[in-house]
Amino acid sequence: MAQHACELSFLSRSDGSALYSIGLNVALASVNGPGDVKVSNRLYNRSHLEVCYSPSTGHSMIRERALESVIMRTVEQAILVHLHPRTAINITIQEMQSDGLALSASVNAACMALLDAGIQMKTTFAAVTCCITPSGTVIIDPTEAEIQESVAEATFVFESSGEASVLTAHQDGRLSYEDFKKCLHHCQVASKDVFAFYRRMTEKKYQNEIES
Amino acid sequence: MLGGLESVRVVLPGDEVMSYNPDSSGGSIFLGPGLRWEDGMVRAAKAGLLKKTSRHLYFVDTHQKRYIPQRREYVIGIVTKKKGDIYKIDIGGSEQATISFLSFENASKKTRRDLALGDLIYGQLIVANKHMEPEMVCIDAYDRAMGMGVLPAGGVMFNVSLQVAREIINPDCPFLLTLSKKVKYTVVVGMNGRVWVKAAHQNSMVALMNCILMLEYMTPDEANEKALKLLEALM
Repeated sequence: MAQHACELSFLSRSDGSALYSIGLNVALASVNGPGDVKVSNRLYNRSHLEVCYSPSTGHSMIRERALESVIMRTVEQAILVHLHPRTAINITIQEMQSDGLALSASVNAACMALLDAGIQMKTTFAAVTCCITPSGTVIIDPTEAEIQESVAEATFVFESSGEASVLTAHQDGRLSYEDFKKCLHHCQVASKDVFAFYRRMTEKKYQNEIES
Repeated sequence: MLGGLESVRVVLPGDEVMSYNPDSSGGSIFLGPGLRWEDGMVRAAKAGLLKKTSRHLYFVDTHQKRYIPQRREYVIGIVTKKKGDIYKIDIGGSEQATISFLSFENASKKTRRDLALGDLIYGQLIVANKHMEPEMVCIDAYDRAMGMGVLPAGGVMFNVSLQVAREIINPDCPFLLTLSKKVKYTVVVGMNGRVWVKAAHQNSMVALMNCILMLEYMTPDEANEKALKLLEALM
C-alpha cells in the first residue's frame, strides 16, 4: 500500500479543507457549509450537496462530471443531510497531481475535509483502488504504469461503521467473479489502514487540547 | 481540565460510544452536540474530542469555523437589511437572523431604536432550529438590556474558530485577564466565532486581536505565557 499523507485546514478561508496524498497522487478538497443556497436548489427537508471537481490540467469535461457524480453519491450516504434543511454543502476538489489514483485521493480528501469542517456524518468513508495483473496478483494503490499493464482496476469505497459495507464500487476492465471478490477482499483489508490513518490525523489535530 | 469536564478520547463519525437501552440501563445519560442515539447505540456524528461532565452529559467538542445557530446563545451580528419593522442580521449561519425593532431596552412603538446597515449587534438567539429562520433579541425576559444591544463605534471585530470563542469566555480561562494586565480594553465575544475588541488606541486593538488569534494554534497555557511578550512587542 502506498504512503498516505494529509494536512488538515490547509485553506484558511474554507470551513474545512484537506490536502490528501496517496503516493504521488495529490488532491485538495475544500468544504463549505451548511450555507446559503439558491432558491432553485433549496430542498425543504435536507441539505443540497454540490461537488465540483477540477482536473490538474485542461478544462473540466465529461470525465470530471462522472467523477463528481461518483463522489456526490458516496458523500450523500455519509452526511446527515436531514439535519440541515434549506442549506447547501459545497465540496470542491482540485486534482493537484495524478498518478492513476485520482478518484481514491479525491474521495479520501473529501472525507477528511468534511471531518475538518465539522459537518455531521453517519460514518467516515475510505476509498481504496487496486488493480489485477495478468498473472492474477492484486496490487493495492497501483501507479499509473501498473494500471496500464493490468487486466482490470477497481476502486471501492468502504464505510467505517457497522459491517464496513461498500458505499461505492467502480471497476474498469475484465474481471471474473472470483477475481472481483479477491480485489474486494484485498481492498477491504487495506481500508482498515486508511481508517487508522484518519484516526491518527484527527488525534494530531486535537493534540493541543488533549495535552492541556 | 477546565471546569470539571473530562476528555474521554478522540472520536470519528460512526464510532460507538456506548450502548444504551432506556429499559435496562440504570441511570439516564444526556447527549449533547455531536452524538446520536440510534438502535440502542450511541454513536459520534462528528470528529472531535468526546467529553463528559460529572453529571453524565456527553458531547463531542469539535474544532470548526462554521456556526450553526443554537437557541439561547449570545452572538454578534451585522445588520444587513431593514424590512419594515424587522432587521435582517448576518450571524454567520446559513440563514440570516431577524430582530424586531421592539427587541431593545426601552423600545416602544413610538420610540424606535434605528439601526444603520453595518452596525454590530450583540444579542441572544431565542429561536434557532433547523426548521425556522433564527430570531434574535437584545433584551432578556425582564426587558433589561443586560449588556446586549448595538456595539459602540470605534472597535474592531474579527472572526475566530468556535472553540477559541468558547475557550476565552470560559470563566476558568485566565487569558482575557492576562491581557488586561497590560492594556485596558472592552471585549465582546459571540458564540458564532466573532470577537469585538475596543481599546484607547488602534495599535492596542490590533495587538489584542493578534493575541486572541494566537489561541487558534496554541494551548491556553502556552498562549498565556506568550501573550504579554507579544503585547509588549506590538504596542
